[in-house]
Amino acid sequence: MEFFLTTAVLLPLAAAFLAFLFPARKPGAIRALAIFATGVSLLLILYIFSQFDRTQSGYQFVHGIEWLPSLGINLKFGVDGISMTLLLLVGFVSFAGTLISSEIHERQKEYYILFLALTTGISGTFCTMDLFFFYFFYELAVIPMYLLIGMYGSLPPGKHGRTKEYATMKLTLYLTAGAVLALIGLLMIYYSTGTMDIQKLQRNIWVSTNMQMRAFPCLLFGFGFLASMWPFHTWSPLGYAAAPTAASMMHAGVLKKLGAYGIIRLALPLLPEGARHWADLIAILACFNILYAGWAALTQKDWKFVIGYSSVSHMGYVLLGIATLNVVGVSGAVLLMFAHGVMAALTFALIGFFYHQTHNRFVPDLSGLARKIPFIGVCMVMAVMASSGLPGFANFVSEVMVFIGAWKQGSTVFRVATICAVWGIVVTATYLLWAVRTSFFGPFDEKWNMLKDATTFRQKFPYALLLAVLLVVGFWPRLLTDVIQKSVAVSVVSRVTSDGEEASRDKNVAPTSPVTRAAWVNATGNRESTRR
Amino acid sequence: MNPPLPSFYAIHLECLLVVWGILLLLVDAFIPVKDKRTIGYMAAGFVAAALLYSFTLHPLNDVTFFHGMYRFDAFALYFKRLFLLALTMVLVMAAEFSDRMESGVPEFYALLMFCAVGMLILASVNDFILLFVALELVTITFYILASYLRRQVPSLEAGTKYLILGALSSGFNVYGIAYIFGTTGTTNFDKLAEILRAATASGTLAPPFVFGMLLVLTGIGFKIASVPFQIWAPDVYQGAPTPVTAFLAVGSKAAGFALLLRVLFAGLLPVRSTWTMLLFVLAAATLLYGNLGAIPQRNIKRLLGYSSIGHAGYMLMGIAAVNALGAGAVLFYLGQYAFTVLCAFLAIVAATKATGSDEIPSFSGLGKRSPILGLALFLSMMSLAGIPPLSGFFGKFQLFAAVIQRAATDWHYYILAGIGAAAVVISLYFYLGVGRAIYLQEAAAEAGPIAVSKPMRAALYVCMAAMIGLGIYQRPLVEAAIKAANVFGLR
Repeated sequence: MEFFLTTAVLLPLAAAFLAFLFPARKPGAIRALAIFATGVSLLLILYIFSQFDRTQSGYQFVHGIEWLPSLGINLKFGVDGISMTLLLLVGFVSFAGTLISSEIHERQKEYYILFLALTTGISGTFCTMDLFFFYFFYELAVIPMYLLIGMYGSLPPGKHGRTKEYATMKLTLYLTAGAVLALIGLLMIYYSTGTMDIQKLQRNIWVSTNMQMRAFPCLLFGFGFLASMWPFHTWSPLGYAAAPTAASMMHAGVLKKLGAYGIIRLALPLLPEGARHWADLIAILACFNILYAGWAALTQKDWKFVIGYSSVSHMGYVLLGIATLNVVGVSGAVLLMFAHGVMAALTFALIGFFYHQTHNRFVPDLSGLARKIPFIGVCMVMAVMASSGLPGFANFVSEVMVFIGAWKQGSTVFRVATICAVWGIVVTATYLLWAVRTSFFGPFDEKWNMLKDATTFRQKFPYALLLAVLLVVGFWPRLLTDVIQKSVAVSVVSRVTSDGEEASRDKNVAPTSPVTRAAWVNATGNRESTRR
Repeated sequence: MNPPLPSFYAIHLECLLVVWGILLLLVDAFIPVKDKRTIGYMAAGFVAAALLYSFTLHPLNDVTFFHGMYRFDAFALYFKRLFLLALTMVLVMAAEFSDRMESGVPEFYALLMFCAVGMLILASVNDFILLFVALELVTITFYILASYLRRQVPSLEAGTKYLILGALSSGFNVYGIAYIFGTTGTTNFDKLAEILRAATASGTLAPPFVFGMLLVLTGIGFKIASVPFQIWAPDVYQGAPTPVTAFLAVGSKAAGFALLLRVLFAGLLPVRSTWTMLLFVLAAATLLYGNLGAIPQRNIKRLLGYSSIGHAGYMLMGIAAVNALGAGAVLFYLGQYAFTVLCAFLAIVAATKATGSDEIPSFSGLGKRSPILGLALFLSMMSLAGIPPLSGFFGKFQLFAAVIQRAATDWHYYILAGIGAAAVVISLYFYLGVGRAIYLQEAAAEAGPIAVSKPMRAALYVCMAAMIGLGIYQRPLVEAAIKAANVFGLR
């Protein structure tokens, strides 16, 4: 049963290799293969979720082999509550993304190979338990993205004055810059602890204070590039605007979450002193994300730019949740990553649906679309509601958790940040409602008479699937919060502050406050932490 | 188990190549002119067989041959295999290229063989005298090879430039060897290390010795195209016939690094404090020069010239770290770099045959015109840039690991790692520029599909399989590289 997880992660990549052998003149077979691979992968992920032991905080479904002993590298997969949640997200978004890719008609073979490679890159990063493979999968996702945007994307001319080649190059260079910076931080951790095993690192090994202070900014800003942390966010709206629909879905929905996941999985628990030292700065940058990007979204006229800036703004909430360093806040951030991922994927899919027919996504040009495409209109209204944080959707629960966490943190910086963040919701609602009202309601413009709605089950299914996920988690958040909170408490927060101490009564987990830690070191005889 | 004639056993690979090279010249007299290609494929097949045969050999680690001049250890054998591999691919390339040469095709193959013999000996040198002789064998054949297209001005220019700068660097080299001999009384690496160990212990290291050492490093710096001896690289790479450029990029560069590693880690290790900082600075400067210089290039061979300077910088990073991980990382890097660069040049030779131009815009739409050439060129560019799952990625990973490991004791190395990181991002920009032409831009309307010959196809598949295979399952090459680097006993 352990290898189910490995299969779920590697199946898309295997399918990509298989598709390579298919003749390019049979795109139907390749598309069927891609749907099969992502579909089976989703089913496996759902099965793993159903078998997931909700009483445990540690890694489950651990499966791996020794890869390169001379550098201590193992190919090892496993999921805990945090990665389980995000793996579900990859499963849903990649399956929906493959389904709606029927709009691609040219060079389909390359398209599906790239898309499948991208999927494995992302799910591999979420599930790997090894620093080297974390980086390996993380970087694996970058180049498929470059080609997907460059070959299949479209960027209507606008005030930005950029081409899609520019957008995709910028995205790739930014992400690589972040990745290399993070690599230096990861290597610092490796050489001060002597192991690449994330599980071991999270349990009972401590990096020296000096090294923590050096490595934390590397990881924070390195991963911050990908998480579109202000001021490193400029690649993101432009990249999404230029990307083909499924690539936007994967990128805004999932790939961006890798950055925040890296901070939660590695930067906080492995470098807790660094985290405490830099937490205020993260909170401040998060406010810039929320308000600055929200403000930028207000002035956008292109649907994809609106949603692009909106997703930068939402990453601000995630970062704020991370900065709180308490269980509620960090769990809220993880749940928000899931909720926003599904929501962003849904929105981009819907934009793709009408853009494919109108070849126009300029908000003022569109009007009264809901009359011709009511199904898409309804979905869009619901997606916008979710994005603005209306109760009933997963986003509401997670945002509230972030706010509670941030307020509970108590310091002035966080109080102010919470107020800014709550104000950000108003800003979000303003631009999203404006965009929806203008393009879907109001007087119907005759030139959109040729639009066709999604009518068959096959057409509606991907949108309905994503919407259903949002609603289910919105009404029954404990489905995910239970597993998230347990893992966050034990493997992240208990390492950083005393907040998670209670949950960490587990013998294997080192207490964090200096006094109890000294006692623990005496009791267990574990001195690995004080190596250097 | 000791072979019956150990001295002959140590040099019989070189002997085989020399004999075959002479046979090639003779065969020319009996084979009609139109079969030029066949001769090339035959030569490539023979070298490939020699490469396979070399895997049955085993290194003799603790012995020297010919009065301490020559070694046949794991390090030497690793490089010999690397050069044989490079030679095989270059011969396939040369056969493909042969119809663009007016005359002297079999001589071209034979010269490549003799040049490779020099490289094979360089991998084994344990003495400055042999070093100089082998180095000259390589360099002089390259003077001829670089200007082989003798009616084309760029080729002549390349040959002349290489000749003048190469002669200058040889001069420096031999002058430096004289100083080293003058101050220590030996040219043998092992004896030199002993004398230097004693001299540093008693604090009697003569300044003229350091001067001589710097001159020798100048000569080697020219071979690997490190700053400040890199000026020739872009011009020669651009002007020389493409197979020669490939051999320069793979063989000559690897030979330079083999020498550098051997001289520094076998001979000059006791005085490492005098050269570590120098290599640190050279690595940083080389990285920046190569990668920044490549940005405005429009000619792909010239771009690869700058790129080869940049890659010398990455490998110098590993040497500057002066640890076992760094030495192993350089060896791994050279091994995978051979496949990557050969793949790029194979694709370039096949594509330029149809396009007739080395300019990057002429590769527009290559992905559609010939999926295999497009894919090969794109993958090799990405491997050069260090993107997983390709082998270049793991090479860079190890080099960075070596530098960061060293940085734990000397924080200056974080600066080097930072410069390396910046170089990776810069390099991605221009490598993607080639990728953009291949996949993002449309071919001109009249451009049709490009045919690729069978041997070419096979060579491309081998290179691509190696790039992807070594990128994902690195273990065999990593372990071979570590075993080879272990001969220096670094920690």
